[in-house]
Amino acid sequence: MYPSDIARIVSPRTIADALQELDPVEDAVFLAGGMSLMQAVKSRLIKPDIVVNLNEIEELAGIRSEESGLFIGACTRYVDVAQLVSTTISLAALSDAAKCVGDRQVRNRGTLGGSLCWNYHSACCPCASLVLDAQLTLSSLSESGQRVDRNVAISEFLTGVLETARRPEELLTSIFFPRPAHRSGSAYKKWGLQTDALPVVGVAAAVTLDARGAVISARLAMTGLMNGTQRYPEAEAALVGSRDAGESVAAIDLLKERALVHSDGSASAEYRKHLIGRLARQVIDHAFARATEQD
Amino acid sequence: METSVSITVNGKRHERRIPARMLLVDFLRDELRLTGTHVGCTYEAVCGACTVQLDGRAVKSCMLLAAQVGGHEVRTIEGLEEGGGTLHPLQVSFNKHHALQCGYCTPGILMNIEEFLQVSPNPTETEIRRALVGNICRCTGYSHIIEAVQDAARKLSSSRDQTGSGA
Repeated sequence: MYPSDIARIVSPRTIADALQELDPVEDAVFLAGGMSLMQAVKSRLIKPDIVVNLNEIEELAGIRSEESGLFIGACTRYVDVAQLVSTTISLAALSDAAKCVGDRQVRNRGTLGGSLCWNYHSACCPCASLVLDAQLTLSSLSESGQRVDRNVAISEFLTGVLETARRPEELLTSIFFPRPAHRSGSAYKKWGLQTDALPVVGVAAAVTLDARGAVISARLAMTGLMNGTQRYPEAEAALVGSRDAGESVAAIDLLKERALVHSDGSASAEYRKHLIGRLARQVIDHAFARATEQD
Repeated sequence: METSVSITVNGKRHERRIPARMLLVDFLRDELRLTGTHVGCTYEAVCGACTVQLDGRAVKSCMLLAAQVGGHEVRTIEGLEEGGGTLHPLQVSFNKHHALQCGYCTPGILMNIEEFLQVSPNPTETEIRRALVGNICRCTGYSHIIEAVQDAARKLSSSRDQTGSGA
């Protein structure tokens, strides 16, 4: 575990400067928290010539709360996401996820944007973000050197395991979480081999209830399986109309049926299915409870 | 390729020319000879023995390039004591409660927990154990470490109350 030779490290102070650094150069990587990237660099999965260090760009970190929702800078650390989002109950899945990544040293340094751009098959924040309909802002430079922003829905951003819709010349600058409708709740929970370890399975749920307490809108996502972080639309449809978590059995069964489970050293396929059943029940319960908490 | 860095460690600034790929833990140990920060796992970032504080936050120094921390404050175990050779209350508690044997994991745990106690001054046992997820100890079985942290937390809490600091 040791990096290969790095030609240059640059530490731009603004987004515009960062985009300039990337513009002419092929073999450059963006370094945010580095909790995933540095592992790849140390194991030589990646051998960058140029490292563009994003940690000096003040405008890339921070959370702004508007009536429409929360704008989270891509370089905001997990620990700050967890703390600042925890007051917005309807977006609790995100703080659930940010609170349990890795260990506290990782949470002090790793970033939300890094997690989304890395899109590891087993990752908490992409899963939570998926059920919260996050919108990502990707910035690049036009031919004339002007900054251009492109908005992408998270469901379109996460294209495959370790793959995203981010183009090589683009920098993820901000993630927007729309404020859910009244009577909305969400939750995320995972199971791994140790406390806070990588999810063998992680499940996120978000529900919006009508005045009678029945689900009018549902999002269900899972992470940790071989096909990475995904939503499960059939299970979501089955949850609509449920008046409490007890009526979620059909949705949970669909999750188990559609899950691409496999057996390996961490768990058998059967145990993965069992975990899905338990975790899904817990997060759906929790999402319901949080949705009605606001009454 | 080499790069020039200017890095502040324990309040002292160091200017060096180093390979761009040099990890912070190696900079501290090999360049500055601050060997209190340890490498316990071949840089896989699983053991936590390399934990230092960067701008007051506990991080694993094997996950950072030294060239990233120019203009920031690094604090290592050598910078934990209160000055004039007076040990930090955590260090005193660790000694009193036999919370170290070989001592290899200890600097990383101290630098992590010192920050943890600032964020959570009255932690439960479960919270302390959770805070230690990123630090492996092979000798002690953790129980004395927990006792030492609880002891230090009480001491720090009460001295904070006595000096009237905090809201």
